[in-house]
Amino acid sequence: MPKSSTHPRHFIIVGVLVAIVTVVLYVVLEKALPMPAQASLEALTIDWLFGLHMLVLSFLFALVVVFMVYSIVVFRRREGDDSDGEHIEGSTTIEVVWTVVPLILVVIFAFIGFKTLNDITRQDPNSVVIKAHAQQWQWQFEYEGGVISDTLVVPLQHRVHMEMDSKDVIHSFFVAEFRVKQDAVPGMVTHVDFTPIMTTEEYLAIADRKGEEMKVRCSELCGLSHWSMMAPVRVVPENEFTAWLHREMVKVNPALTKAVLSKTSN
Amino acid sequence: MSLMKLGLVRGLIGEVVGALAGVFVVMFIRAATGYESAYSAEPCWVIGLLAGAIGFLIGVGALTDWSKWWVGQETPMHHGPPVGQPAWTRYFGVDYNHKVIGIQYGVTGFIMLMIGGGFALLFRTELARSGLQFLQPATYNTVMSMHGWAALFSILIGIGGMANYIVPLMLGAEDMAFPRLNAFAYWINVPAIISLLASTYYGWDGGWTVYPPLSLRGGAGYQFVFIAIFLLGFSSILGSLNIIATIIRMRPPGMSLFRMPIFCWAVMATSFLQLTATQFIAQAFLMLSVSRALGMGFFDPAKGGDPILFQHLFWFYSHPAVYVFVLPGLGIISEILPVFCRKPLFGYRWVALSSVGIALVGFIVWGHHMFTSGYAPYLRVWFMISTLLVAVPTGVKFFSWLGTMWGGKLTFPTPMLFVLGSISVFLLGGLSGPVLATVASDQPLQDSYFVLGHFHATIFGGFVFPFFAAIYYWYPKITGRMYNETMGKIHFWITTPAFWVMSVGQMTAGTMGMRRRIADYEQGLAGMVNPHLGTIEVIHMAITLSAFLIAFGVLLMIYNLFHSAEMGKVAGSNPWRSRSPEWQIPSPIPEHSFARPITVVGEPYDYGLPGSYVTMSGAAAGDD
Repeated sequence: MPKSSTHPRHFIIVGVLVAIVTVVLYVVLEKALPMPAQASLEALTIDWLFGLHMLVLSFLFALVVVFMVYSIVVFRRREGDDSDGEHIEGSTTIEVVWTVVPLILVVIFAFIGFKTLNDITRQDPNSVVIKAHAQQWQWQFEYEGGVISDTLVVPLQHRVHMEMDSKDVIHSFFVAEFRVKQDAVPGMVTHVDFTPIMTTEEYLAIADRKGEEMKVRCSELCGLSHWSMMAPVRVVPENEFTAWLHREMVKVNPALTKAVLSKTSN
Repeated sequence: MSLMKLGLVRGLIGEVVGALAGVFVVMFIRAATGYESAYSAEPCWVIGLLAGAIGFLIGVGALTDWSKWWVGQETPMHHGPPVGQPAWTRYFGVDYNHKVIGIQYGVTGFIMLMIGGGFALLFRTELARSGLQFLQPATYNTVMSMHGWAALFSILIGIGGMANYIVPLMLGAEDMAFPRLNAFAYWINVPAIISLLASTYYGWDGGWTVYPPLSLRGGAGYQFVFIAIFLLGFSSILGSLNIIATIIRMRPPGMSLFRMPIFCWAVMATSFLQLTATQFIAQAFLMLSVSRALGMGFFDPAKGGDPILFQHLFWFYSHPAVYVFVLPGLGIISEILPVFCRKPLFGYRWVALSSVGIALVGFIVWGHHMFTSGYAPYLRVWFMISTLLVAVPTGVKFFSWLGTMWGGKLTFPTPMLFVLGSISVFLLGGLSGPVLATVASDQPLQDSYFVLGHFHATIFGGFVFPFFAAIYYWYPKITGRMYNETMGKIHFWITTPAFWVMSVGQMTAGTMGMRRRIADYEQGLAGMVNPHLGTIEVIHMAITLSAFLIAFGVLLMIYNLFHSAEMGKVAGSNPWRSRSPEWQIPSPIPEHSFARPITVVGEPYDYGLPGSYVTMSGAAAGDD
């Protein structure tokens, strides 16, 4: 090993090691931090951003840890050597570099963060509007025509706009497979949008689902039975959704029968 | 020796007398104004606990000198143990020496660490398997919530210990600027702890964030918690005031701000945060307390209030508070690293200013805790950008540590191992931050186990590991004896891998969809069976086992510290060959730390150059 700590050979070795560790770490992280199935368009955007973060994380982690471990191995004190290390107080150039480069990264990520946020919160005037009423410790979903359901039924490939409120304390709407999350707060109406892209049937067909369907799970501590505050989610093709909604509308208001029937036959 | 001679015992009696008096006053008023029952837990204990705290402070003697001043009596500063009593008794009563107060803070912080950790072990045991085993949801919620605040008490009190013991020594000062205030700021923690622990009797279920309207319902335990934190807030504010005054006014000749030991910079940045932000949580909790006690509707929409307002007030303190928790620890890393690298701290000024930078940015990022809360959506963009900015000064610290190690002559005794461990762990915490900062990728992770993993990594890397490093590092200075190196190293090699498994395991559970703060989880959570790691249950089992390993490590450390105090090798005054002032005086440190005043003649970390940082000259200091 060269005596001087600024000899290029040190940095070449470290550079190679950083590259190797980055790749290894990225592969490991992908396996160690798995996300549930991608059942919405938002999941695609969010998982892409998550992956990008993991890539940068892998590189920065490798950078710091490789330099650290290399120092531990190469620059450890030898037996019987009581002298001090090289007297280097710092370097303004290097400090400016490692201030400005992260700053540029921050600007890039701020831009990407802004774009992805716009993407997942996109509003569509043709959205199916579903009201979610949260209370300790259950969910209730209200559709057009006063249809009330304990199951969140949503149409495939169609934008859904949720309007949420709460009767008592703060709850949070979260479907892991859709990735989106929004608190339901008493005294106000909050919104969240998503577009389902996987039917329940397809979801259950994936090998390791063990028959567990998607669920809304409350994600804000709401008291005694917070842990069990869930509601099933059913994603169905759009025509099935319309048919279901009309059947339910008729149940609520039998006078609608004629009008609804003529509509479905169209 | 009579037990009554111990301030702590008198204080506890004062607490009981005060509390009972408070309860009886409320019962009397209620009876006189025609309530059906004179006793009602909540109003009785609100007044009872406040009166109990005052009773404690009177009993322990924290107010004695000040009350004498009010009637015009002089109270000369007493040095040394109480007259006619053994030396150990001074740790159990009011003592004005900063070294005694530092130990009092440190030991109290350590005890709270074990209590907080104990709560964690309880619910981790429950969560090891899917299904409800021995903790029912109500108990689970209380235990989980208690873990949060007990651990935060441990941190706030622990950094008080490090700052009180070390800062005056580094400045070559006789004591803190306001010794009586210092003692008061310590002792008010004790009634705070009593209130917090007593809250378990009635229970509360809000987590440490106690968001209303949930915290406006539920058990009377909430009031105990509000009062506990209100009292703790006094300690934070008064303690930080004292430290700022000490650092600004009591530096020795020649020690300009940029020649201070770096730990003082970290503590000063921390203290400015505490001094200016603590009021917000005190205010928020006071508003919750009177909402419950008097029916005010600050946060209740049915009465025109706003639940989101509380979250703003809460996080306006609690985010800077996270930096309060970690900045002193990062200061410890920067302080200890040069000593064991035998090299100057790389870019001293940049490291010093990065602490200030983190503290300043820390004030404008609170909204990232509320990305899903429902406040105006455009605000999320601003909070995302400000949050990402934290990465810049934090990066400066990491890179400077690398620069310090590079080309040094590294040795690896236990404190150095814990410093290196904390760098790796804090790195994990720091790098898992930006994922949570960008709003889109925060959506699935908000309120999930991923956040738990991130937070525990920052707190272990920024507080717990450096706290352990500091204890091992200054132990020979405090006791005059060396801890057992083998046991210290075993402690490190148990704790670090265990922590890594725990923290990464939490992150894995989080991405798989595990929500935080749930008493039970489904075995096939979100339909997930991780082909590489198995079901979520396997991951939970690993987290629980790691938690127990960490706890075992702490027990080993305690044994080491007690054992070595008597059996350890005599350490000498400067076993680490440090340049810092506290290592130039005898170990253990005499009552008056510096026999002669010090003058700063060099840079604090000029390892590799001849000459020293401080000289001791001039006449022997008077014994005032």
